[in-house]
Amino acid sequence: MHSGSVESRDLFPGALEMMILQILRRQPSHGYALVQHIRRASNDLLQVEEGSLYPALQRMLKAGVVKARWEVSPSGRRVRTYELTARGAKHLDRQLSTFERMLAGICLVLSPVKP
Amino acid sequence: MSWFERLFARQRIDADLSEEIRGHLDERIDELVAGGVPRDDAVAQARRQFGNVTRVEEQARDVWTWPWIEDLFADLRFAVRQLRKSPGFAAAGALTLAIGIGANTAVFSVVDAVVLRPLPFPEAHRLVSVWPRSPAGPAGAFNVSYPNFFDWRNENRVFEHLVSYRSTPISLTGSGDAVQLRGQIVSWDLFPLLKTEPALGRGFRPNDEDAGARTVIVSDALWKTRLGGDAGIIGRAINLDREPYVVIGVAAPGFNFPVGGEQVQVWVTLAVDHRSDTVQPVTRQRGSRMLSAMGRLRDGISIEHAGAQMNGVAASLAQRYPDENSRYPGVFLQPALGELTRAARRPLLFLLGAVGLLLLLACANFANLLLSRMAEREREFALRLAIGAARSRIVRQVMTESLTLTFIGGAASVAMTVLLVRLAVPGLGTAIPRIEQTSVDGRVLGFALAATALTAVLVSLAPAFRLLHDRLSDPLKDGAFGTVRGPGGLGSALVVGQIALGLMLLCGAALLMAGFVHLTRRDPGFQPDRLLTFSVGIAGQEYPRARQIQFYDQLLDRIGSLQGVRSAALAMPLPLTGSSMTVGFDIAGRPAPRSARPRSDIAIVTPGFFQSAGIPLLQGRGFTNQDNSSSPPVLIVNRAFADRFFPGESAVGKRIQPGAVADARGPQMREIVGVVGNAQQSPLASRPDAICYFPYRQLPWCCPSVIVRAAGLPTLLEPSIRSVVSSIDRQLPLFDVQTGDQILSLGVTPVTFLTVLMVGFGAVGLLLSSIGLYGVLSYAVVRQTREIGIRIALGAAPRAVLLLVLHRAATLVAAGLVIGLAGSIAAGRFIGAVVFGVDSANPVLLLSAAASMLAAAWLATYLPAHRAASIDPLLALRTE
Repeated sequence: MHSGSVESRDLFPGALEMMILQILRRQPSHGYALVQHIRRASNDLLQVEEGSLYPALQRMLKAGVVKARWEVSPSGRRVRTYELTARGAKHLDRQLSTFERMLAGICLVLSPVKP
Repeated sequence: MSWFERLFARQRIDADLSEEIRGHLDERIDELVAGGVPRDDAVAQARRQFGNVTRVEEQARDVWTWPWIEDLFADLRFAVRQLRKSPGFAAAGALTLAIGIGANTAVFSVVDAVVLRPLPFPEAHRLVSVWPRSPAGPAGAFNVSYPNFFDWRNENRVFEHLVSYRSTPISLTGSGDAVQLRGQIVSWDLFPLLKTEPALGRGFRPNDEDAGARTVIVSDALWKTRLGGDAGIIGRAINLDREPYVVIGVAAPGFNFPVGGEQVQVWVTLAVDHRSDTVQPVTRQRGSRMLSAMGRLRDGISIEHAGAQMNGVAASLAQRYPDENSRYPGVFLQPALGELTRAARRPLLFLLGAVGLLLLLACANFANLLLSRMAEREREFALRLAIGAARSRIVRQVMTESLTLTFIGGAASVAMTVLLVRLAVPGLGTAIPRIEQTSVDGRVLGFALAATALTAVLVSLAPAFRLLHDRLSDPLKDGAFGTVRGPGGLGSALVVGQIALGLMLLCGAALLMAGFVHLTRRDPGFQPDRLLTFSVGIAGQEYPRARQIQFYDQLLDRIGSLQGVRSAALAMPLPLTGSSMTVGFDIAGRPAPRSARPRSDIAIVTPGFFQSAGIPLLQGRGFTNQDNSSSPPVLIVNRAFADRFFPGESAVGKRIQPGAVADARGPQMREIVGVVGNAQQSPLASRPDAICYFPYRQLPWCCPSVIVRAAGLPTLLEPSIRSVVSSIDRQLPLFDVQTGDQILSLGVTPVTFLTVLMVGFGAVGLLLSSIGLYGVLSYAVVRQTREIGIRIALGAAPRAVLLLVLHRAATLVAAGLVIGLAGSIAAGRFIGAVVFGVDSANPVLLLSAAASMLAAAWLATYLPAHRAASIDPLLALRTE
């Protein structure tokens, strides 16, 4: 699993998974909808290579944090919809709190030194 | 989803993924088209934004795979394909390993059956053999008398049960012909000792030891054949030695005691030894040492603790009965299994060592085969490395191939083992205890698997080493004009090792063969051809001593007058049947303390014995019929006896007093009246035993064998001899009918077995090492074709080219021979333990083994060297 599966090198490992889980917590979605959602929600700041979504989804399926089922979308397409499992919700909470602590730490280090 | 389900769900996962990605692209394209982008552009844009579809699919799929297992399967498939492409290589490799592993497994199956398996009784590790110990003799060499045994039994606090046993022939009469049975006289608690029960009826009880009691437990086989297999036999009487014995039990099928000997057919209690056909019943003669004893240690008692307590008992007996016991102040305890396997252990471990060498040799051979094969594929590997294959991946591929072959070889070896065990083991008879129980069972298969795994590791070392350390990309750079490399140093080292191992095996085989020849060719001291020997079962109440003497007189008389009989005599024991009777004696005028008395083998014979057996009289006179109980006691000794005890003087006329007792008069001073040649008593002894011969009439112990010298083929006499015996007494069984030659070969059966196997191993070793040498040299010649071609083109004589190859061969062979000889000499002590009558460092034998190896090496060198010398330079330079 290459870290290059996420096009933007600025995304740290695990970020894509975290975002997917967060989106799925709000609402079960299929792959294409997930990509669109990320793009819109980040005001096009995050350019996710669409393809990289799928290995990530397979990893999460295997880990049991999401589950998938085939459905017919409102637009009449047969799509594979993913939703969060209970384990996934817990996993997301842990990831988020870790991430927040890390972010806080980074911010403290990066904040301009006061004379 | 478990990993198991996942293996099968893979196709669905793949299909879902493809459909999902296709759907994603379609949705994007539709969206773009709806936004006004032309369809073709939309398709391109969607794909661009998505990225490489194939790669994404691959990455997504990889999430689910088991790279390790799947690569292994891929490697396996590839290996099998590769091997099928070169069946010659595959067959040679698998066969080599099958021989190596198969020989090991077969020998292990014998070792397992004979040495390793526990005795077939519950908690058998608590069974120990108990012997009187004398500072004067080797451990386990002495038997115990009844009175001492009874005291041991009463005074010990360490055994749950302590049982005495001794073997005896017993005649069974009553229904049909009289037959001689193998019997054991045991104390009552044999079955409790073994923690087992007869299959039918009951075991003995303490009162079965009472003087008048006559009870018997019969073997399953005897019950089924001779006794009709009727369960109603329990409680009925059968005639043993012409006395009625009540059958109280039938042993379970396969039960035998003592374990490992010939199948015993009847077990009776020591009640029978209470009867008095000597001055005193043997159960009251403290000096009459005739019993073996086995005990079951109480729970929690160690063998050391038991030994200490029993030593105390023995010491007290030595104090109380100094005349009989002062020479046996202690006991010697040994696990019963160790006692049983004592004789067979060393030769078998020796064989195991030898096949171990053979396996190493096979591994080296196979490793070399792998190396040459790798060398052929160097370009392929280099190419694969160049286009990005990981080195470890190539190593794994090569390993898989060698492992596949190893396991094919391992499987073939099991078939070989089954074949060997089926063919070879029945031919060995009962010469080695328990060997008939050899079978290919789970333990043996486990051993085969372990040997295969070890082999797999060993054979993989060389190729792995080569792959990891060599610059595999060289061959590509070398191109058509590259330098030429000789065979790898690794390959040469392997050949040297092979020659060394092969030579060690050859030396072992040569030593054993020499020992065997020595044993079979040496003068046994008597003339075994045209001899027929047999025994007659006359023990028992019907034949008190006087009648025995009368019977044998009559028998010898009638046999002597048969057509085709030169002479007949009695002897106990027969020559070459082992040193079974020994006696201590005092030499007149040379008083020695009781514990330091000299000992000698004894034999009891009638006057015609020396003539019948063909033993020359060297000095003095032979026995006559006048040497009887009323005439002066006499003796004849063999030359070994005379040389040992009367060196430099004539033994005739000397007087000695042996401790052998004929009647109430006790030991008598006897005059030596003659000296005869050395007739071998122990079949495997390296030097002749000292023997003193007693005239039967002065020491009429029961029951001598009859020895008949025939004018023609001795076996032809058997029918007429049988009719002579039954004309005297129809109830007498005749048994142990053997010709002199049979006695001669029976004594050396274990040696024959060892020798045949070892010669086989030596031959295989020779073959494998020559093949190894041949392989490396041929390969070198092929690799050097261009170089040799250039040399020849530049004017080198074929002779010089020949020398080039010979030089390489000579270096390898010389190194191998030196190491092998050193190894053989180092292993000599080990070999010496099982080889008879041959010095294990005998230079002639070692050198002749080396010469055989050299001859084989020459053959292996000749072909490649010849091929090199006849290389056509034009063709050689065109090959690339």
